[in-house]
Amino acid sequence: MMKKKLVIIGSGPSGIVCALNVYKSGIKAEDILIIEREDELGGTLNLCIHQGFGKNELTGTEMASELSALVKKNNIPYLVGTTVISITKEKIITAVSPTLGYTKIQADAIVLATGCRERSRGGLSIGGTRPAGIASAGTVQRFVNIEGYLPGKKTVIIGSTDIALIIARRLSLEGGQVLFVCDTRAKPQAHKTDISECLDYFGTPLKLRTTVTRIFGKERVEAIEIADLDKDGKLIKGTKQKIECDSLVYSCGFLPEIELMQEVGIEIKKLTHGPKTDKRLETNVDGIFACGNARIIHDDVEDVMADGKRAGKGVSDYLWFLNKRDRIREEER
Amino acid sequence: MAIKSYDVAIIGAGIVGTMTAFMIGKYKIKCAVLEAGIDVASGTTRANSAIIHAGYDAHEGSLKAKLNVRGSRLVGPIAKQLGVHYNKCGSLVIGYNEKDLEHLRLLLVRGKKNGVRGLEIIEQDRLREMEPNVSKDAKYALYAPSAGIVCPYDLAYAVSENSATNGVDYYFEYKVDKIDYNEVNKLYTISANDKTIKAKYVVNAAGLYSDEIAEILGDKLPFKIIPRRGEYMLLDKSEGKTANHTLFVTPSEKGKGILVSPTVDGNIIVGPNANVVESKADTGVTSEGLSEIAEGARSIVPDINLDAIITTFAGVRATPTSGDFYIRESEKFPKFVHAAGIESPGLAASPAIAEYIVNILRNSGLKFKEKEDYITTRTAEGNCKLFYDMSESEREKAIKKDPRYGKMVCRCEMVTEGDIVNAIRRPISAHTVDMVKRRTRAGMGRCQGGYCRAKVAEIIAKELNISVSEVKKFSSNSNILCGRTKRI
Repeated sequence: MMKKKLVIIGSGPSGIVCALNVYKSGIKAEDILIIEREDELGGTLNLCIHQGFGKNELTGTEMASELSALVKKNNIPYLVGTTVISITKEKIITAVSPTLGYTKIQADAIVLATGCRERSRGGLSIGGTRPAGIASAGTVQRFVNIEGYLPGKKTVIIGSTDIALIIARRLSLEGGQVLFVCDTRAKPQAHKTDISECLDYFGTPLKLRTTVTRIFGKERVEAIEIADLDKDGKLIKGTKQKIECDSLVYSCGFLPEIELMQEVGIEIKKLTHGPKTDKRLETNVDGIFACGNARIIHDDVEDVMADGKRAGKGVSDYLWFLNKRDRIREEER
Repeated sequence: MAIKSYDVAIIGAGIVGTMTAFMIGKYKIKCAVLEAGIDVASGTTRANSAIIHAGYDAHEGSLKAKLNVRGSRLVGPIAKQLGVHYNKCGSLVIGYNEKDLEHLRLLLVRGKKNGVRGLEIIEQDRLREMEPNVSKDAKYALYAPSAGIVCPYDLAYAVSENSATNGVDYYFEYKVDKIDYNEVNKLYTISANDKTIKAKYVVNAAGLYSDEIAEILGDKLPFKIIPRRGEYMLLDKSEGKTANHTLFVTPSEKGKGILVSPTVDGNIIVGPNANVVESKADTGVTSEGLSEIAEGARSIVPDINLDAIITTFAGVRATPTSGDFYIRESEKFPKFVHAAGIESPGLAASPAIAEYIVNILRNSGLKFKEKEDYITTRTAEGNCKLFYDMSESEREKAIKKDPRYGKMVCRCEMVTEGDIVNAIRRPISAHTVDMVKRRTRAGMGRCQGGYCRAKVAEIIAKELNISVSEVKKFSSNSNILCGRTKRI
């Protein structure tokens, strides 16, 4: 079985920053391993072809390549196309990959930097049918930004998160028409500048206190029905209207990716849907740390990186103590 | 092209049609299944409560009662043979007062007369021990240990795959619009659009549309089929411990009412309501309906976490005005068998319904000679075990044999590229995103395909050698994409 002092699961900004900080603290590069399920390092940054990441306003993909260049420069080992399917309290990691097969790795410490996943639209409870043409923001990003396909020509977007607005802009740029962006809230979730850059510039309306009540269409989306909400969030009678469109994109926010945490008994907080951690970002399971969006959903990539740095410090200290304890035990013997 | 001729044609690839094909597939009989939809289990079989009812609901002496009890005993062995998830978790019908208790006693007596084994009425203490989350107002329950849960469409896939492996032909998008009977050569000609086949025997297993098939033939069923829609919610696996058994409330005239049940995949299913709809294809959900089932679920499990809903859906059931299954040879047309009015517990009864149909065919002259080379599994290679269900050593072997089993596509449900390619290459090919989803569970987890949908579409495109924009969600006009982006 492969042995490592530290295994970091996830190579998004928090995972890589964590690895770099642990390396800087004096742990040898060869004692670290980063495991990434996609075929490239960088995590969700690779889906983000828009600008605005970091101090230099890089695109997400540029930032991903800068970060992965640092990993490579420092010879920190990593596995791509490799998915961790379980971890244990004894810190045995089971991973699968087409090249490595079914692998087990023994680590002294684990950092979970698995990022987040989109909330499903299940909770939206929209009436009507479920035809083709309904997709989450993340799916649309992959289809448009990586594959080069449009999900629809006349799109309505649900949710006013920054990612929803960025998608509205992307679809407008790529030859689609965004009829409007709507949200049940009274105030948009994204910043004012995002609204002017992503919506106003393209003449895309933002409908607040508006809810989608029904989806029409047997095979593809043909129309939706929307209605206005009053200040208590209740439907205002007589405001329902049917709007023809061929696609619906939803962005209902994000949840920390906690799949691996639940099985190993890491305590999950109800409020954040993420793991409970202490000051140094260690979970209730000894030697297992969590950082970035896997711990709590952050708004900004710089906060995600700061979290990675904090976990890097925490896990370096943990490994230092472990090392010292082992040496003392050795001497006692 | 020469018109193909069969011994038996089955109209409808729902659970009744596929189960019948499965039974016929063991014999030297040329059989075809004609399905209007794009896939097996496109209608009622796709969306229902997924319960193998024990058999205490149907009235003594009814065909429903007889076939339910027999069928529920046959499901287990078939599930085992074909690697279908089936869990004999038992069911509890909950009573809140003396009036309910009276009704539970009636069900107990009825169940015993129907031949259901192990039935008993239990009191509050034991009920709470078995179901800690059940309402404090629940005082009694009828416990049926023989009840179970199954994935209805997986059962239909399994039996259809096995029958296809054993030579049964499947025709999809075959919406029968003409049936002619030639009295001279005693053959039925069954057409759909420009397609035609001939058959000596015909089974009408068209579910919601079985009355229309009878009419196309020139026959008439002695009852009406009323489409009743039932809406459902599915909860995240995190809530899997909400219920250990299928929990019903004491039934009323309206039906068995709203239930809360575990599923074989570890989720919790809540529903259904029962509303008569105009269109048999109306599988839309309504916000009123979802509130109705939410309320129903809370009356059974007050603290049920409905924030954990991952999806909502609806199915339409074929309710016969006669109240019982109708399975018999047409009085007007020889060797034409109607299997109509199959509503709940049709899933539980399905193997027994198939047996019953086989007997009718035998009595009207069809010869059943066993095949020497009958294949017992889904495909000649085995039962298409998913990576998720494999043991550690099986996983290791699978990746060594095909590295695509090492490529994780759906993280929520642990579905690999190998699973998806296998589903696409099975005898009834999964060539749409939804077909792959229901066969492999890719996209059925808590992110509902947010992460894997695009990847699944890419794998389908690659396997079928088509462009991603040609990949469909479920039917011929349900493309998931509408074309290329503006490119430089």
